[in-house]
This record gives sequence, C-alpha cells and structure tokens, in this order.
Amino acid sequence: MNRSQLEHILKLHHREAYIWARHCCQFDDELAKDMLQQSYLKILEGKAKLKDATKAKTWLFSIIRYTCIDSLRKGNKLQALGEKDDFIEPVHDTEELNFEAILSQLPAMQKEVIISVFYHQMTIAESAEILQISLGTARTHYERGKKKLKELILKSHILEYHGK
Amino acid sequence: MENDQLIEDFFSEMKKQDQNLPIPEFPETKVSTFNWWFPMGIAASLLVGGLLWYQQEPAKEAPNEVIIISLQENENQQQTLIIEEKAYIDVWESSTSSLLTEF
Repeated sequence: MNRSQLEHILKLHHREAYIWARHCCQFDDELAKDMLQQSYLKILEGKAKLKDATKAKTWLFSIIRYTCIDSLRKGNKLQALGEKDDFIEPVHDTEELNFEAILSQLPAMQKEVIISVFYHQMTIAESAEILQISLGTARTHYERGKKKLKELILKSHILEYHGK
Repeated sequence: MENDQLIEDFFSEMKKQDQNLPIPEFPETKVSTFNWWFPMGIAASLLVGGLLWYQQEPAKEAPNEVIIISLQENENQQQTLIIEEKAYIDVWESSTSSLLTEF
C-alpha cells in the first residue's frame, strides 16, 4: 500500500482516531494530538504495516493505543492494569454528568473495551484485536466494565438529583 | 437490555458533547526519506581520493646501508674482493663459522 493510499485511510478516520487518542491519553487534548501525529508518522514511515485493508480502523486504533501507552509509561502516568479493579471513587460533580470523570473511574482495560464498543461502535472481537487480548478476556472486561459503568452512572444520577 | 440502554444513552450524550470538540487538522506529516545518494557519493569520492593518493606516493626504497664484502674467484681463477652496497642481506655467514666446522 503506497503513501497516498495510507494518507487517504488516515484522513478518513482522522476524527475518530483523534477522539480515540484522547480516550487513550486520559482525555489530555495536547498529548492526544502528539500521539496521533506520532502514530501517523509510524504508519507513513512504514514502521507499522497494514496487512488487511478491511481492518484499517482496528489497525489504526491499535497503533494509537500502543503509542499512547508507550508515552504514558515513559511519563509514569500509566496506571497499572487492574489497579482500580475493586475501587470506585464517588463522582463529585453534581452539576452535570461528567463523562470523562465517570469513565476515568473504570479500570483501564474495561474502559477501553467499553469505549471501543459503545462509543466507536466496534464489536467485542474488534476490541480484542485492538487491545491484543483474547476474545474471552475482552468479553470479561466488557461485562465487568458494563456493570461498573452502570453503577457509576446511577450513582452520578443520584448525586445529581440530590444536588438539585 | 434495559440497563444497556443506560450505557447507550450515556455514550450518546457524550458523543453529543464531543460534537463541540475541536478536532485538529490532519497533520502535514513529512516523512524523512533518507537520500542514499549523498552518503554513497561521499564514500565514492573518498575511495577515489584515497586510491589516487595511494598511487601518487610509491613506497620508498630502503637506503643501502649494508656493505657486503665477498671473496670470489674470477674466470682466471684469481680471488678478488667484491664490495657491494645493498639494502638487505640474502645470506649471512659468520666470519668465524669456519672455526666451528673445521675444528
């Protein structure tokens, strides 16, 4: 696949790719921009190769995710996987639903599976491919993530109701 | 499914909010295409220069510092001393070696 074809794919998914980069970079806009640019460079310089054109979006998301992980790891911002598994902080923002704050309370893997499925309209299998985990593991993260997210949403609704 | 609706509504609201999110322009990525002609040209120039320099400076001959005096018989069966100046010596025989062999 030549450079112009790759650029066309990147332009096609640019908006979603940026939003995904934000999700992977803990909603840090500037870091997301940098990571997106780095990911594009990796692709255009041929460091990452697309084998199956039908899986372009999955492939692109996977590259972005790993670029973000590398960067966060270097900056020691990455939370160890599963660190928050049994810990849910209350949401304090009672004025309006703070999506980012709620999602940030999910464990990293659960958050990524849930966001890729519900926000980016991917299947659990595609999500597993992006995260490079087995389908079974992705399903587990999906189920647990859903359960936790529901609790968090309900809690935030209750706080919102009482706040008003 | 009812509970999934809760999550779907959550993300639908989130997406609505993200509609206002400023999306950066597609970056103009300049891929660093390394031009191999430059280093190859430099290497070739150095090689040619090196070869020319090597050819221009022939190896210097060693100075004739060895004087060989030998006693040889000429065609008239007369012994004569021949003195030669050379840079090296092929065979060297000790002047006292005859003492070892003849006694």
